[in-house]
Amino acid sequence: MKAKAIGLLLAGAVVASAAWLLLGSGKTDAPVARITRDGALLEEIDLDRVDETYSFTLEDGRGINTVLVERGRIRVSEADCPDRVCVNRGWISDGTAPIICLPHKLMIEIVGGGGDLDGGAG
Amino acid sequence: MKRRILCALLTLILCACALSGCKEQPELREFTTFAMDTAINFTFYCEDGSRTGQAYTTMANGLSDLDSLLSVTGEDSDVSRVNRSAGQPVEVGDWAALALSQALELCAVTDGALDITAYPAVKAWGFTQEEHRVPSEEELAELAAKIDYSAVKLKGNTITLPEGMEIDLGAVAKGFAGDWLAQQVRNIYPGKDSALLDLGQSTIVAVGSKPGGKPWRIGIVDPARPGSYFAVVELEDMAMGTSGGYQRYFERDGVTYWHILDPDTAAPARSGLSSVTVVSPSALLCDGLSTALFVMGLEEGTAFWENHPELEFEAVFVTEDGEIYRTAGLEGRFFLAEGYEDREVTVLE
Repeated sequence: MKAKAIGLLLAGAVVASAAWLLLGSGKTDAPVARITRDGALLEEIDLDRVDETYSFTLEDGRGINTVLVERGRIRVSEADCPDRVCVNRGWISDGTAPIICLPHKLMIEIVGGGGDLDGGAG
Repeated sequence: MKRRILCALLTLILCACALSGCKEQPELREFTTFAMDTAINFTFYCEDGSRTGQAYTTMANGLSDLDSLLSVTGEDSDVSRVNRSAGQPVEVGDWAALALSQALELCAVTDGALDITAYPAVKAWGFTQEEHRVPSEEELAELAAKIDYSAVKLKGNTITLPEGMEIDLGAVAKGFAGDWLAQQVRNIYPGKDSALLDLGQSTIVAVGSKPGGKPWRIGIVDPARPGSYFAVVELEDMAMGTSGGYQRYFERDGVTYWHILDPDTAAPARSGLSSVTVVSPSALLCDGLSTALFVMGLEEGTAFWENHPELEFEAVFVTEDGEIYRTAGLEGRFFLAEGYEDREVTVLE
């Protein structure tokens, strides 16, 4: 009886570790937008759980960026940085390449989710 | 007793599986640092995690040094000292001399389609300080007359620049840095290198392939929709650079003016192209040549590709009308991205 229990436990452990090995090697499923300034995390947004479009403003001594969030995607819609590269970048919906506002040292990147690209050029 | 042995064996097998599983999966590490007016992202797959810290420190410090030597805006950079020299010879460090000699070679081979002396024109359009303006025809003619890379003299580490001229290594600095960074990765992880170095997207260097021998897959931005990728290029020990009018521009009275200037006119290059991507083993070549080919346009750029097999590069052109052209050497490495499968691609033979 005891041996049987141990056997069952072991079998369970094998299944669990196999699952851990298989699933653990991949990225998480839900696309999450991570917003950082100077490398420090400001916001984390699960883009699959966005029901209605909304926007918010990030402000510090360097200036203002308005972030627009929709289900599955995110963008900077307005900013007072001189080059407006972050606004011109448009929407991002996968982790291929982040949105970067260099003058404000702000970065929005998406971790997890689909997308089979390792990077983007352009 | 038998069962106990069986259990012990199973446990052992399980541990072995778990351990080998960890070992077979090289660790993914990512770092981002701000330098050269952009965010630079390193992605490594490493089997020996203890060296990652060393790699990061070497690379981040090197980048910061390169930045301070090659930057055109940094007051104490070698480039700025040359620009303030008023015609007098200036002694620069090894890095600046090497970057300058490689840049000048590229200016010469492209017959001035790339010209590092266009900096006064870039300033006149306000692209350096992002205070944009449209210079008059006369001003542009005056500026264009002073753009001439062949007037820059480099002997050893001594640079002589005629008075009234200024140089900018911006079109090749990221590529130069990319080649140097790739070398560092190869030195630190000899034989096991696997890294992707993203220098602000305009220049990307793939060191080795991904674990398992798969190539790195890099998207090319659709110039008409900069949030999307129209194509994918697979890279293995290869660099890639893209120049596009959509990257930096401003609008005045309904006209779009972008930052890629034609050295002949000192005005934004309107060659009919909206982006050029270059793939080659040298990041510096990708960086400088993507700008030069953008200035040349499709026809001249294609002829340049045909006439310079020794440069070992391939290219992807997108016209302002959205037509896609690629060179034959990208066969098996270039694919249309999801949602763009029905677009026509003309292969340049």
